[in-house]
Amino acid sequence: MTRFRLPAWFVLLLPAIIVLAAVVLIPLLLSLYSSFTSYRLTRPDSLYNWIGTFNYEKAAKSAHFWAAFGRTLLLLTIALNLEMLLGLGLALLVNQVTYGQRALRTIMMFPMMFSPLLVGFQFKFIFNDNVGLVNNALQSLGLSNTAIPWLVDGQLAFFSILVAEMWSSTSVFAILILAGLFAVPRDPIEAAKVDGCTPWQSFRHITLPYIMPFIYIALAIRSLDVARAYDIVQIMTNGGPARRTELIWTMIGRTGYVDAKMGYANAMGYISIFLAIFFTIYFFRKLNAARAELGMGG
Amino acid sequence: MDENRHHRLRARTLKGLQLFALFIAMCFICIPGLWVVLNSFRPTVEIMAKPPVWIPQDLNLDHYRAMFGGVGEGGVPVLRYFTNSLIISVTSTVIAILVGMAGGYAFARYQFKGKAAIFIGLMLTRAVPGVALSLPLFIVMARTGLIDTHIGLILVYVSLNVPFTIWLIDGFFRQVPVELAEAAEIDGCTRWQAFWKVEFPVARAGVASAGIFAFLTSWNEYALASQLTRSTFSKTMPVGLRDFTSEFTINWGGMCALAVLMIIPALILTFLVQKHLIAGLTFGGVKG
Amino acid sequence: MAQVNLRNVVKRYGALQVVHGVDLNIDDNEFVVLVGPSGCGKSTTLRMIAGLEAISGGEIVIGDRVVNDLPPRHRNISMVFQNYALYPHMSVRENLGFSLKIAKKTQAEIDQAVDEAAEILSLTEYMDRKPGALSGGQRQRVAMGRAIVRHPDVFLFDEPLSNLDAKLRTQMRTEIKKLHQKVNSTIVYVTHDQVEAMTLADRIVIMRDGHIEQVGTPLEVFENPANTFVATFIGSPPMNLLAGRVSKDRIVLENGLDVPVPGQFSDKTHEGQEVILGFRADNLMPVGHAMPMGGASAELDMAVTLSEPLGTETLLFTSIAGKEVQAKMLNPRPVAPGERLSFQLDLTRCHLFDAQSQNSLR
Repeated sequence: MTRFRLPAWFVLLLPAIIVLAAVVLIPLLLSLYSSFTSYRLTRPDSLYNWIGTFNYEKAAKSAHFWAAFGRTLLLLTIALNLEMLLGLGLALLVNQVTYGQRALRTIMMFPMMFSPLLVGFQFKFIFNDNVGLVNNALQSLGLSNTAIPWLVDGQLAFFSILVAEMWSSTSVFAILILAGLFAVPRDPIEAAKVDGCTPWQSFRHITLPYIMPFIYIALAIRSLDVARAYDIVQIMTNGGPARRTELIWTMIGRTGYVDAKMGYANAMGYISIFLAIFFTIYFFRKLNAARAELGMGG
Repeated sequence: MDENRHHRLRARTLKGLQLFALFIAMCFICIPGLWVVLNSFRPTVEIMAKPPVWIPQDLNLDHYRAMFGGVGEGGVPVLRYFTNSLIISVTSTVIAILVGMAGGYAFARYQFKGKAAIFIGLMLTRAVPGVALSLPLFIVMARTGLIDTHIGLILVYVSLNVPFTIWLIDGFFRQVPVELAEAAEIDGCTRWQAFWKVEFPVARAGVASAGIFAFLTSWNEYALASQLTRSTFSKTMPVGLRDFTSEFTINWGGMCALAVLMIIPALILTFLVQKHLIAGLTFGGVKG
Repeated sequence: MAQVNLRNVVKRYGALQVVHGVDLNIDDNEFVVLVGPSGCGKSTTLRMIAGLEAISGGEIVIGDRVVNDLPPRHRNISMVFQNYALYPHMSVRENLGFSLKIAKKTQAEIDQAVDEAAEILSLTEYMDRKPGALSGGQRQRVAMGRAIVRHPDVFLFDEPLSNLDAKLRTQMRTEIKKLHQKVNSTIVYVTHDQVEAMTLADRIVIMRDGHIEQVGTPLEVFENPANTFVATFIGSPPMNLLAGRVSKDRIVLENGLDVPVPGQFSDKTHEGQEVILGFRADNLMPVGHAMPMGGASAELDMAVTLSEPLGTETLLFTSIAGKEVQAKMLNPRPVAPGERLSFQLDLTRCHLFDAQSQNSLR
């Protein structure tokens, strides 16, 4: 008698699949359903009040929603690009150093251990108009004699949030790219030098293709938790003042918990999920392509 | 002769500029954290002083004393939150590592249909923004009575950590040659023994760093914790810090002390694993 | 000690069949070498004997037990891997004793067996080092030591010397042969190197594309290759092969040149048969270079295109009927390219293959 047996890989993956199904998949299905209802936390029976795509139409017509959506995209685009460039620059600088490189690498890990919430708090303090480090420094140096309202003015607040976000994540790029730089073989670079390449040319044509996969790993990892910017914003400005720094995530939180409009919040939540999934798949594909180019696939 | 000197000068200037840029970058990285640490030791008057006091005159432990004394500063029971955080983070990490080790091993050692798709699928669950996930989770947990409990948050953190743990552990097990397990099987081991006596010890350092990474994620998580905890019974450190900042915006020193308390475990653990962490991420990613 | 029998063993990966019904009987204490080009199924066959690959059909018997579905640990075998597969987190002593510890032997028994193995392989000085601190040759010896401590029924070797440099390889080859004489047990050894196969084996099994091409002692497969594949695979340089057609007791080569059908094949060919004439470099020599007296031979006058002096002998490259062939010259003297020499082909040592089946006509 041969007993039917599940393949070993499936048994091994089963716990992971069960946990993720229970905590992520099923709630998401529920939220998908509730996004088509007028569900309010305060009125449980409204969960069965099917209203079709009304919530999505409402979001699509809402200027507040589009402002937050656009601001989120803008923040992510600027932040990810700057983080990548600064991270690349930092990695190249550290790579040049021969003495004390280990210490520098350890310092680079520093921001990675900060909880995003802590980063938010830290920069809330630093950018505080009254006692913050930035204003204190500017005033002491005589560069400004008024208190600059970093977290109150819409554009300055956006800038402050951007700085906080970049402080917390640039080192992820720098560290992974540095790992990539270590893995670049010496021979092709030396061959290029002898062949008459300038430093820029050998970087552009040899080093860069080698570290591309590492850049995409960093982007893929970052895209897995882009939403951690929520924590930073939540504590720095909480989307305010007067929605001027509202991101899609803070808007979801407020709509769901403060206004108790769960159905509407879930509809916007779904839009944000698709945004995140789009970013993630995009970078994983780029990673695969870069890998294939170097013949490291498989 | 002249040409040589020109190039030598240029090389030196370049070197100098590089060092300067590096110095500035390191300052940017270090100063915000050090600023918080410094202020946790300064009396509130000095923090608030106008014009600012640049050279600290009076460093003391008042804020720490206040934090640990009695119910705690500003009604935030810091020790209670610290224990909550610790229990939730440690438990969820242990479970996530066990689940992740099984999954990572499956990806590293077995070939099966749809492997890449399943892998991406698992990773995507991690991409769901915490706040978007918290809404339905709030509803489900409220119905099942798991809201404001340790178990509820532990369960959530396990699922949050499993995808990443799988990624890391997959990378580490792939560095262990298959022949080691085969040699062990020929030496008389069962598959199970071969794993625990040979493959696991060889990849142990990597698994440990995956564990620390999972711990840090749980320790630092805020978006979900802020909605799924309601009382001091289950609130974690990040939620405590948030409560503190929204209600008592004036006491910067006290908050800095709380922040320092929160960062210390993370600091120690990160230093322990930095090397393995990078190896795991890049290996898992680059070698697909 | 035990014999190993493979009966119609088949290995399939989905639709792809890599081992096609292999039959092989290995005697007790015999040293058998599986040899063939990469992808011929020799390693898969070895791994099926080890139990690391499930068999898709047929039967494997070790001793008098059918082991088809037994896991490796119940087969009482040991194996030396190509990359040694030493446990990096254990010292040499722990590596050697690991299998005994798993088998729950007492510490005294383990120590005795480990010390004995270390003695045989002169590893005594390195017992407390980790594999990472050993040289390639030392790692190789630890891998062999790990195999011998268990006193298994069968030793399996999977290309164990391919990661060593040329000098060490020759040295370890000798050690393996000595080891076999010392421990006296059945050995199945896989390699792609025909020199290793020739020097080590009691019997050689030549494989190609999942089939066994020939089984025999080193001398048998060298002297009487069953087909053109074996003829070119075994021996260095490879056997020269020339296509031709039988006509009136002579073999007419492509450009009209002809040689007599060697006497030993005269009643095995028929008029008009397409054949392949095979001969080794040793049997084509310039006139006057130690040809046996009285044997049938053919004389050919050819220009040398290249010569490779090897010290005791010189390889000469020339061409017959438009095809490059290699000849050998003993008592070497310098030969200039283009120099014409008179060669003597020893017909008694020639081989004749059917052009259609590629099989020997013997």
